[in-house]
Order: sequence, then C-alpha cells, then structure tokens
Amino acid sequence: MTVVLKKLAGHLARGLVMILVVATISFFIVRNIPGDPMKAALEMKVAAGADPVAAAQEVKVIYGFQPTGSMWSQYVDYLAGLATFDLGTSTLHAGQPVTEVLTESAKWTVLPVLLGILMSFLVGVILGVYAALRRSSKLGDILAISGSLLHGVPQYVLGLLLAAIFATSLGWFPSEGGVADILIEPGFTPEYIGTLIRHAALPVLTYALASYGGWVLAMKSSVVTVLGDDFILASELRGMKRSIIFRYVARNAILPLFTILALSLGLLFAGAVFIERIFNYPGLGLKLIDSVTNRDYALMSGAFLLITVAIVVANILADLLYTVIDPRVRQ
Amino acid sequence: MSKQAPGVRIDGLTVTYNNLPAVRNVSLELPPGTITGIVGESGSGKSTLALSLLNAVQPPGRIAAGSVEIDEIGNVVEFAAEQIRRVRGSQIGYVFQAAQNSLNPLKTVGKQLLDLGRSHGVEDLRGLVRDAKDLLGRMGLDGARVLDSHQHELSGGMRQRVGIMLALVLNAHLVVLDEPTTALDMITQSTILKIIREVHEERGLTTLVITHDIGVVAEVADRLAVMYGGRLVEQGPTREVLASPQHPYTRGLIRAIPRLTGDIDEAQALPGRPPTLATVPAEGCVFRERCPLRMDVCDTVDPAAEAYGTRIVACHAVKVKEHA
Repeated sequence: MTVVLKKLAGHLARGLVMILVVATISFFIVRNIPGDPMKAALEMKVAAGADPVAAAQEVKVIYGFQPTGSMWSQYVDYLAGLATFDLGTSTLHAGQPVTEVLTESAKWTVLPVLLGILMSFLVGVILGVYAALRRSSKLGDILAISGSLLHGVPQYVLGLLLAAIFATSLGWFPSEGGVADILIEPGFTPEYIGTLIRHAALPVLTYALASYGGWVLAMKSSVVTVLGDDFILASELRGMKRSIIFRYVARNAILPLFTILALSLGLLFAGAVFIERIFNYPGLGLKLIDSVTNRDYALMSGAFLLITVAIVVANILADLLYTVIDPRVRQ
Repeated sequence: MSKQAPGVRIDGLTVTYNNLPAVRNVSLELPPGTITGIVGESGSGKSTLALSLLNAVQPPGRIAAGSVEIDEIGNVVEFAAEQIRRVRGSQIGYVFQAAQNSLNPLKTVGKQLLDLGRSHGVEDLRGLVRDAKDLLGRMGLDGARVLDSHQHELSGGMRQRVGIMLALVLNAHLVVLDEPTTALDMITQSTILKIIREVHEERGLTTLVITHDIGVVAEVADRLAVMYGGRLVEQGPTREVLASPQHPYTRGLIRAIPRLTGDIDEAQALPGRPPTLATVPAEGCVFRERCPLRMDVCDTVDPAAEAYGTRIVACHAVKVKEHA
C-alpha cells in the first residue's frame, strides 16, 4: 500500500504542475482573443434596455476589479484566486462565481459522459473478445467492420445523424429545451426522471456510439495478442479448463484498455463541446461555447481548467488502478 | 490413472500445416521408464512431434495420419477435446522452454497451481500445495516463497523448475520437455539436467526430451532419435549412435560439434541449409541436397526406416553398405 501512496504523491505533484502550466497558458491565450469582455457585457446590458452610464458602472462592479493593471498583475491575482478555489466572477451570469456556474453545468456533463463511456466500454469489450475468438467467422468480421466504421465517423457527425433521425424525423427524443421538460416539476418523481432520461438519451447514445468502435478494435487486437502468448498454450497443455483459460485471456487482454478508458473519460469532457451544442444540452461544453462567444474570460479559463483537471485526474486514476491490477507495475 | 511409467508407440505419424508435412511418416517407440532425446535443427518438426503426444498440434496444423498409442491412456490422436484435456497435465506433463513465459504474468504461481488442481478435479487442494512444495524443495527451491511469487520475480532456472513442478505435481508419468535448457546459463543448464535425470529415476517416468543441443541428449538420454525435414532419420541407444553414427546427417551433426580441447577447425559445419516446410522435397530423400553419399535413387525414392540391430536408419547409402 505504501507503494500506492508514494505513487499518488508523485502523481499529485506532477498533476499540480500540469494544471499550473495549463492555467497559465489558457490565461494568456484567453486574454489575447480579439474582443473586449467589458464591451460585450456593456452591450448586453444596453441591449436589455439599461442606461449606458449606469450599465458601465454595473459592469465594473461585476468584474470586481478595475482591469487597468498590467497583464502580469492580473495573472498574479488570478493565481492567488486559484489557490483558494476562486475562479473569479462570470460576466455572462451576472455576478455569479465561476465555480458555481461550472459545478451547476458540470453535473449535466459528467453523468451522461460517464454513462455513455461505460456503456460502450462494456459492450465494446465483450464484443471485442467475441470478434477475436471468432475472427475467422462472418460474425467476427462484421463486428470488426462495424468497429472500424463507427470508429472512423467523427463524433459530431454521429451526433448530427442521430439528431436528424431520432429527434427531427422520428421525433422520439427532444433535441432542445435543456435537461428536462420545463413544465414538469423537478423532484424525485417518475415524470421528472423520465424527462431527464428522454433529454439525455441522444447525447449518451452519441458518446457511446462514438467510442464503441475503439473498444471493439482495441479489445480484439489485445485478445488476439494474448491468445498468441506462450502461457496460453502452456495452460492448454496443462489441461486447464476452458473457463479458466478464458479468464486468463480476458484479464491479460483488458489491462491496456484501462489506460485508454481513463484517458477517454478525460477527453470526452472536451468532446462534450460538440455533442452538447448539437443537442443543445446545457452542460459544460455548451457553457464553454457560451463563454467564448460572450468573451467571459473568467468562465472560459475556468472551463478550460476544469477539463484539464479532469484529464489529469483520469490519468492519475489510471495509473493507480494499474498499480493495483498489474503485479508487474507494483515493483 | 497410471501409477507406473507408460510405454508410448508412435506409428506412421504425419502432421501437416496447410497440407505441407511438418512431420512425415514417423514411427518411434518410447520404452517404459526410459529417457528418449529427439535432436534436430529448427524446423525439423521435433516440436510438432512433441505436441502430437498431447494431441495439441496448433492450427492450421493437424495430424493427418498415424497413431500415438500410450499405455493405459490409449490412442490420443482419436481423443475428443474434453477427453484429451483431462489427460493433459494429469497423465502427460509438458515442460516449456525456459525462455518462453509459460506462466500467467498476473497470477502467483500458487494461484495457478490451484487453477490447475481445480481443472483436474483435485479435491485435496491442501495436499496439492504440499506436493508442490515438496517437489520445489526437492529441486532446491524455497517452495513457500516460489508459490507466493509472480513469474517476473523468478529467474530463468527457477521458472524452469516451476514448469517441471507443474508438469509433475498431478503425478503424470509421461513427461515431454521441449528445449528444457535452452536460454539458460551453463551452470543452471547442468543443474536442470541433473534434476531431470534424478526426478525421472525417483518418480519412475517415461521422458521425452526435445532439443537442438546434442550435448543435452548425450547427458540425459538413454535413447536418441535424430530428426531432419520432418523425418526420423536415425534412432538407437544414445551411446551407440554417438559412437558410430550411421546416417550421413547424424555424422555431419556430430562432426559439427566444437570440442573444448584441440583445434577449433576440427569442427566442420554441415554445408547448405535445412529445408523449410515449403522447400522440403515432395519425393525422394529429404537430406539428399546436403548429402555426401547422394545416389540416383535418393532423388526419387524416400528411404524407408529399417532396423539394423539396435539401430533404425532411413538411408539408401547405409542399406547399400549393409548388403555389400
């Protein structure tokens, strides 16, 4: 266990450095995007019918600082805020702290993404094993080809296709209107849960289909490799039961996939940008797009940072998991 | 279950890979309680022959003809999948090359031992572990520690002893060792050979050793069989074959061994290369391209294996000499 703790400490240190680097880069990139957030906020208020002078004052208050300092002093302020988990104030959401906005929208991304990936992982791995064992049969070929095809189609194309078929043509699922039907009272009721599922169905399906192909292909090739390993033949020659040999194959073959799983969990938060835009699903991705179009610097940096943290954490988890399941790494 | 060394009779065995014969019409007898060594170059078909004893030739290879009759087990060539599985491990032990990783890298040796026991319906698993520890101890290892280790924590020599333990722990009396000392250093090699010899005596086994190293055979085997291009070209008692090899290939092999003393140039490599599956001639003698005694008949007629006293040789030239 001490090995795991030592590794964890090392990972955390490296993770912090990575997060710091990304925070720095995104801070400066964001501030070099053409456009002025104060102007954008002001225009929004004026468009909403506010008095220009009062609106200008309000905007200053919302920012919480006079953005007259140099870029460097702003950067120092930003880092100081980060240390206390203060990501600043959103301009888009009149004065709400960025952390609040992010946690509110993140929960609508995390659940569908997790659900979609885990579903496709399970199905893909099982079918991948099957495709490997039956690789010289028709069904094995079909599985492999379906994997290649789906793997080759970009996520957003899949999303658009699903939206066109199931939302527009068939009308089975909604393609807009947030996470739930506005007319249904939120709460732990069958109606509310039903509408949540109906709204999340297409995004989840897109995540699942987009990653399914990768699992099938990766698992297939992994199983084929392990089947060729000497210890499988050795186990056969020792008269081991098929069920036991199958477990040997499965456990050895699935190892490399855990790394991919953890990485894809992190990356899918980034992928959510496309999918949520297509289905107008108000999660982290949609929030990121909104923040960009409105030049909401604080929210933008915050969203980038959250995606980075997700990937770093996913990596750490993958590595720790490896330490637990692979005795060779424990050394 | 056989409680004493079984005899094995291989008769007319032919194994093909995509219709190309890797082993052709091989007949060989393993007398009960003996150690037989099969010597041959890479691709001579010796490993395929060894796998045939367990009816475990890997696809696309298949046993096309012949039989492998084992005392108290039967003709394993005719066995169905589940029937042969029960025999493997429990009645016929197979030991892999040390360089090959014959253990599941994710499980300790002990856990794999238990998997082996469960596969063969062993009820007294504690007894099985005790037997394994005894065997490992007999081979100079700390049984408890080894059973608690993963493959990557064991040295080549230790792995090989674990392989021997797993082959014998269910009390098999027929053991096949495929290149048991390849990839081991000289000292470990001689330790393993000593163990093979001693365990063979103590447990009353019938043993088959496959090797490309004629020195290994000289050290452990009672009987020696030489393979070339899928054919068994010569067989007989080890001492006799080494002292007066009859087949020109056997002679060439023995002449090619460098000696520790004397001029290094005394060792003469065999000219040419061994045939591969695709280049092995379909008719005539498989060795004729490299043979100093080649005659016209060698191009068309495959020499039959014929007995000369204690020796069996497949060569037209030897036959001519005998009749002269």
